[in-house]
Amino acid sequence: MRAYLATTRGSFLAYLAYRSGFIFSILNNLVYITIAFFLWRSIFQGQETLRGLTFDQTFLYITLASSLMVTLKTWTDWEISHQIVSGSIIMSLVKPVKFQWLMMSQSVGFSVMNFLTVVVPSVLFLVFVFQVPFYSGIGLLFLPLALVFSFVLNTTIDYMIGLTSFYTESIWGISATKDIIILFLSGSLIPLQFFPDWAQQTLKLLPFQAMYHLPLMMLIEPEQPVMTYVMSLGVQLFWVAALLALARLFYNRAIRVLRVAGG
Amino acid sequence: MQRLRYYLRIYFLIETQYIKSKMQYRDDFIISGIGMVFSSLTTIAVFWVLLASIPDLAGWNFDQLVFIYAFYMLAISPFQILFDHFWQLRFHVIEGTFIKYYFRPLNMMFYYVSEMFDIKGVVQFVLGIAMFIYASIRLGVVWNLPQVLLLLVTMISAALVTISIMVIAACTSFWIYNSYPVLDLARRLREFSPYPMTIFDGFFKLMFTYIIPIGFVAFYPAQIFLNTGSNSTAVYLSPLIGAATFALAYWVWMKGVNGYTGTGS
Repeated sequence: MRAYLATTRGSFLAYLAYRSGFIFSILNNLVYITIAFFLWRSIFQGQETLRGLTFDQTFLYITLASSLMVTLKTWTDWEISHQIVSGSIIMSLVKPVKFQWLMMSQSVGFSVMNFLTVVVPSVLFLVFVFQVPFYSGIGLLFLPLALVFSFVLNTTIDYMIGLTSFYTESIWGISATKDIIILFLSGSLIPLQFFPDWAQQTLKLLPFQAMYHLPLMMLIEPEQPVMTYVMSLGVQLFWVAALLALARLFYNRAIRVLRVAGG
Repeated sequence: MQRLRYYLRIYFLIETQYIKSKMQYRDDFIISGIGMVFSSLTTIAVFWVLLASIPDLAGWNFDQLVFIYAFYMLAISPFQILFDHFWQLRFHVIEGTFIKYYFRPLNMMFYYVSEMFDIKGVVQFVLGIAMFIYASIRLGVVWNLPQVLLLLVTMISAALVTISIMVIAACTSFWIYNSYPVLDLARRLREFSPYPMTIFDGFFKLMFTYIIPIGFVAFYPAQIFLNTGSNSTAVYLSPLIGAATFALAYWVWMKGVNGYTGTGS
């Protein structure tokens, strides 16, 4: 456990080394929030609700989805790929720790920093500039745990994508494809309610909605019966277990093809 | 003229070597191509999902939005294919490998961009052409000679605007080293250029028209061909804006290049 905590601490420090980027990351998110405001305002065009959501709910959903995405962006897939291509993965493998937990504890550090430097300012911006109302209700109590599950799902997918570099020795294509698929199918670009019914039914069977849609619904509709949220957590937990098992299997397979040339 | 021929020959030689070196990663090309197709189709999918809930987006229907988006894809292709190396500028600056570009009797920006030729960008370009033709047919856009010439002029201007915005964003690495967040911001702004600029009002409309002219990457020039009668006069400024932004980008590049001190190793 101490080894993993040390890794997390290391990633805090590594993050701080490039702090000039903060301002632009915050700016990036604020620009997105602003553009989303105008875009969705023109989509609603004075209508009270669309697909059962009010403008305020939709706007909150979209902007917090974007902030959550920034939080979860920890480049684990790129890091693994870089280690594989450069051969430095050997240094990670000889350590008496599990490779996956090592990568995950690094992500924890980055995620926490992302959250503090990007999400907190963004939420303040939403409250003070756009005066978005936040809703209160029982659903909010389930949110922290749901976010932890989102994090685990995200980093596990990133981890598996990174492992594909054992075979391809390159990452851009598959990582970009993954980003786009998650972006679109998780509801973070357009709330899932806006999809046609058949698409919604299909997307509910995939793991991506568990990463964004389920936690975001706790935020924008926190007054549903408690069972709704327990169910959401159950779905998330199912995907966490499934993906972790898949990652373990994949790792055991992929590690056999690893070739590192020289040192 | 002779100089131009010399540069073309050099470009061809460097590119051949580059493509040869890339040939060893054939799988990567295929996967990257698929990635490119996915990322190109996302915006179309967004339009499609949205227009299932509302009749039009700020007055524009699906085919018109596809047309504007296809224009956008073609306009960003020159940056994607020819200027892709700018995404890596920050690594060269941080690690000091940028020094090598000072030691050739060539224009530095030329030499820098010639080192990379993004093959996957060609996938995007081809997809863009296909969408452009599809939308043109669906909308009944007439392509006579003056129209085609107008398309070329506006397209080149739009490409220059994209290139300039991205080059300026990449060049910030001369001062702040890690330019990724800036590039990411520029890309995000660029991604909104196929959306109807009429959704913005007041300050933001002015900003996206004149200060960070992303409106000129797709929406303003593309609507000339759609005959909707909504052309603002700003549309005809597009060649001027293209040339001006590129001049600015080149100036920023020169400023960065001349101030770079290397890493000492």
